[in-house]
Amino acid sequence: MLLTGFINGIIMGGVLSLPVLGVAVVYGITGIPNFAIGLIGVFGGFVTWYFLSYNMVLSLFVGVAVCFPIGYLLQNILLTPISNKGGDATLFFVITISLGFVFEGLVKVIFPRPSISIALPYMGSFSVGGVSVEIIKLFALIFALSTLTVIRLLEIHTRPGQSWQATSRNLKLAKLVGVNTNRVFAVAHGIGCSLACIGAIFWGSLYNLNVLSGWELGFLGFIIAVVGGIGNIWGGMLSAMLMGMILSYSGYFLDGNWQSVILYVIVILVLIVSPKGILGSERSL
Amino acid sequence: MKDRFKYLSTLFILLLPCLLVLVGGYFQEVAGHVLLFLIQGYVAWFLLYKAGQPFFGYSVTMSLGAYGTIVLTEIYHWQLLVSVVMGTLMSCVMGIGIFLGTCRAKGFYVGMASFLLAILFPKVIDALKPITGGRNGLYFDGVYALMDTNTYYLILVFFTVAIVGFFFWLMTTRMGQTLILIAENDQLAQAVGLNTFKYKLVAYAIMGLFSGLGGALYVNYHGFISSVDIEVFTTVYIYFIPLLGGSRVCYGPLIGTIIVILVPDLFAAVERYQRILFGLIFILVLVFLPDGVGPSLERFWKQLVRAFRKVPVATN
Repeated sequence: MLLTGFINGIIMGGVLSLPVLGVAVVYGITGIPNFAIGLIGVFGGFVTWYFLSYNMVLSLFVGVAVCFPIGYLLQNILLTPISNKGGDATLFFVITISLGFVFEGLVKVIFPRPSISIALPYMGSFSVGGVSVEIIKLFALIFALSTLTVIRLLEIHTRPGQSWQATSRNLKLAKLVGVNTNRVFAVAHGIGCSLACIGAIFWGSLYNLNVLSGWELGFLGFIIAVVGGIGNIWGGMLSAMLMGMILSYSGYFLDGNWQSVILYVIVILVLIVSPKGILGSERSL
Repeated sequence: MKDRFKYLSTLFILLLPCLLVLVGGYFQEVAGHVLLFLIQGYVAWFLLYKAGQPFFGYSVTMSLGAYGTIVLTEIYHWQLLVSVVMGTLMSCVMGIGIFLGTCRAKGFYVGMASFLLAILFPKVIDALKPITGGRNGLYFDGVYALMDTNTYYLILVFFTVAIVGFFFWLMTTRMGQTLILIAENDQLAQAVGLNTFKYKLVAYAIMGLFSGLGGALYVNYHGFISSVDIEVFTTVYIYFIPLLGGSRVCYGPLIGTIIVILVPDLFAAVERYQRILFGLIFILVLVFLPDGVGPSLERFWKQLVRAFRKVPVATN
């Protein structure tokens, strides 16, 4: 039971870490808690599903490509001007929840089905220690880990990455040395929304995707990111793994509803005991 | 003097729904629903903007009052009045508990912790399905076993006016003024020797008490509650009420409740586009009228009056 729980927990953590990526990138760089990001991701997921019958690779590309300009434009047109006027986290909470309503409505109006399943090709499964693991779930985990590594490498070794770091650490100083911070914010938001879309695509291929999953993904992504230390992407990954473990092991003793209750209780306790999260964050809410 | 006039005129407007008893039917039903959210809106107005506490768990305290009432009456066969009192007290204790649990954290973290609680609570209700009914909910006759719809509706109006009146009165007292000072500058309040912990604790207790009472009135009015009614969006809507109406003016939550609760009804004909319009209205108000609709209308009215005064009177 211990091994089975561990393997299931790691795999579930990999799936859970996908929505965290978008939230962590956006919050880590812009300092804006975007609660609509799950809905934007689900919007991209629905776009992918719509084009899936034409060509799978093209549909994945279109879905992700649609989300990037959405994030870019939202940041430039709406969020940066509010931030420049001194908008605080509470205002961004309200604005992004309202944005979530808009995207929820758009999904309902544009797409004919309320609930979809994104049928990616079946990759098969394999067995570890008597536990059957679907390859797509392992792929989700590998994808999440490699995305984190790529983002970290970009931050260290490339000039745009260094601009991101500078902007997230000290906005005024970054502006002073000539970094176009508005552009950095917009690109980060675009990337965050695209990552949320990839998360939604994986989610839609493993489970069903509907409008409410957008809220679920956004909230889940946010709380996991908060527990890890919001803005700290490795903290987010670690937190996702821990959440996966909690869900996996509690599944042996409790039914689905109580599993969620236990998860949220632990999150609230972490938040109360250690407000900066497990690994801490340079940014705080 | 000016404030007192605003307080009294707001309370007078809140009494006007009494007249709907003469009309009855749909309008009365909707007005009752609006009044129930108005109570929560004023609770949020008090805690968020007067006491300065970033709290997002209104659906939790409201539903404790509601579930306390219905569960104790239906499952444990307590007397209705005792159940209402117990439900309200439970909510008050919850308010105090939330404050004690989050008083170490600061700013938006308090908001996040209470927001997570608002996400968690419906899941707890679902998990306790044998007692709470989960998503299927619980039905009861409640107050309608003792009186007719119109009488309860009038009681609801008077309760609303009394609760709003209490908040107005509270803001004129030393306690209210101290809370405003703490909201504006917590450190300064501590520096001048105020026990801010004690004042905040009382603010949370008041919030829990009236939010719970509002919940008890809610469940008696509808005769039903389920975990769907207390989902996280309920707390979001309650939070939006003073924000959209205008937090600085005493009638802000009144305007906010009309926008948040009635506007979706107006868009019922275009149900498909309801969410988009709803979200866009919120964004537009927040961006272009950052003080809320109430103060903006007040400014517009003053400009209009000034413009009329400047027009020279025509003489023969």
